[in-house]
Amino acid sequence: MLQGYAVVGLYLLLSFALLGVVLLLWWFLRPKKPNPLKLETYECGVQTVGDAWVQFRAQYYIFALIFVLFDVEAVFLFPWAVAYNQLGLYAVIEMALFLLLLLGGLLYAWRKGALEWA
Amino acid sequence: MELSWWAHLWSVLPEIVLVLAAALMMAVDAWLPEGRKRELGYWAIGGLAAALTVTAVQAAQLAGGIAVPYEAFGGSVRADLAAMLFRVIFLLAGILTVAISMDFRPLRQSGEYYILLLISVLGMGLMGAAVNLVMLYLALETVGIALYLLAGYLRDTPRSAEAGLKYFLFGVFSSTIMLYGLALIYGFTGEIAYARIAQALAGLPAPAVMAALLLILVGFGFKVSAVPFHFWTPDVYEGAPTPVTAFISVASKAAGFAVLIRAMIEAFPTAQANWVAIMAALAFVTMTVGNLLAIPQRNLKRLLAYSSIAQAGYILIGIAAASPLGVAASIFYLGIYTLMNIAAFAVAVIMTNVTGSEEIRDLAGLSRRSPGLALAMLAALLSLGGIPPLVGFFAKLLVFAAAIESGLLWLAIAGVLNAMVAFYYYIMVARAMYVDRSPEEEKPVWISRPARFTLWFTVAGVLLLTVLVYPLYLLAQMAAQAF
Repeated sequence: MLQGYAVVGLYLLLSFALLGVVLLLWWFLRPKKPNPLKLETYECGVQTVGDAWVQFRAQYYIFALIFVLFDVEAVFLFPWAVAYNQLGLYAVIEMALFLLLLLGGLLYAWRKGALEWA
Repeated sequence: MELSWWAHLWSVLPEIVLVLAAALMMAVDAWLPEGRKRELGYWAIGGLAAALTVTAVQAAQLAGGIAVPYEAFGGSVRADLAAMLFRVIFLLAGILTVAISMDFRPLRQSGEYYILLLISVLGMGLMGAAVNLVMLYLALETVGIALYLLAGYLRDTPRSAEAGLKYFLFGVFSSTIMLYGLALIYGFTGEIAYARIAQALAGLPAPAVMAALLLILVGFGFKVSAVPFHFWTPDVYEGAPTPVTAFISVASKAAGFAVLIRAMIEAFPTAQANWVAIMAALAFVTMTVGNLLAIPQRNLKRLLAYSSIAQAGYILIGIAAASPLGVAASIFYLGIYTLMNIAAFAVAVIMTNVTGSEEIRDLAGLSRRSPGLALAMLAALLSLGGIPPLVGFFAKLLVFAAAIESGLLWLAIAGVLNAMVAFYYYIMVARAMYVDRSPEEEKPVWISRPARFTLWFTVAGVLLLTVLVYPLYLLAQMAAQAF
């Protein structure tokens, strides 16, 4: 039992050592020519404007939740579609029930006005 | 024995009814016009009453010997009389809470409120029936999450938001600690079912079992608001909407005791000497601290919060006794406590509607302003205090008797002394109602019809059970035999 943990410990040490060697090697070999463009957070991409501490609309959260609903639906639909031929009628009914349940949730969110951007 | 699908469903039939009712209510809520939202309260009462009917039939079958207790869903839940009696307590508490919520001004009428209440009752029913660690934790969290939301339901009121957040933080923290305990138990034994854990724990060193037991008791102690874990109670009780406070103080506490009793007796019989000592200490500290801190309170909800902590202490005495009599006494006490505490909170709800405040001094002159309301409050307070003719006295008598029977004489004496202290602050509230005068004595007190129903039901229940103590005790005794 303890010997098993010793292997884990050795492995940990080894990985740290390997990482250290790689970093050191890289530090010796690389050319050092910093310039302002190179030191930017995103070298290629849009210039950042302002800082990240801005208020977001709380409503994004509701949209995210509803998005998860469809996301989960897709996650289940893909394997279901792939294995459809082997599964038979039972799977059709199960999936129909599942979709109906999700539909119920969507209808509820709709009626409650969660989809209105106001 | 292989169970039929119907036997599986039968064991959680009240919960199935509640799920259907909650789903139906979501649809009704979405399509009900804005002006008729109050009707949702009646829908909720209907759903809870349907589940209560099912539970009552099941309880009658189990009590009459027509059905036998069994475990369903791979040993997750047990259908026995104790589970059913606890369900009756939760469902009754749910119905009475909905009735006092319907016309409580600060709560705007909304479906989510009632649906969350239904979901938490559902979780409590599963807590009472759970016989393995996974079910226990799932049920605890179902109840917890619904109640955190309910406590913070008045989003625009800072006090309510604070109550919700405090309840959430304390709840999550204590349930995490409990989860460590459950993980330790699983690590030691490799089992999740109570009965098998009990067998596997027999061969383990005591300190290991003790460590797991202590961690688990943190979670249970939070639920029943026993003293070292009680700090959330006054603030949450004060900040949460008053009907929710009533519900938390009664149903959530009863659910905590349901899991506590079952887990201690079924999973830790080998560590009984240890947990009896812990329970006795908890009971002593809980009732003493609760009673002493209740005395200086000026806010009715805070007073009732500390009083409910003290009541938890008395109920813990029954568990510390660790005997059939003790368990029966605890179940008996919880049943009675439900009625009398909801009666007291119903008066608090009505007075908040009228005066907009929750201070004890605003009860002044209530005996002249609304004699019936004052009398209902007096009955509830005297019963909570354990004054002899009322049924609260028999509840205390039973737990003290159980303690003496199990050789915990000191605990019984401490309990009696505590009951005397408690009597003082209950009488102070009665004094405000009957002796103090107020310039507003002429103004009538408006009581909505559902709230009137709650008052009548609880007060009549307390008075009726005063006469029918023995049948109720027999029922509690039969339930205690399930363990």
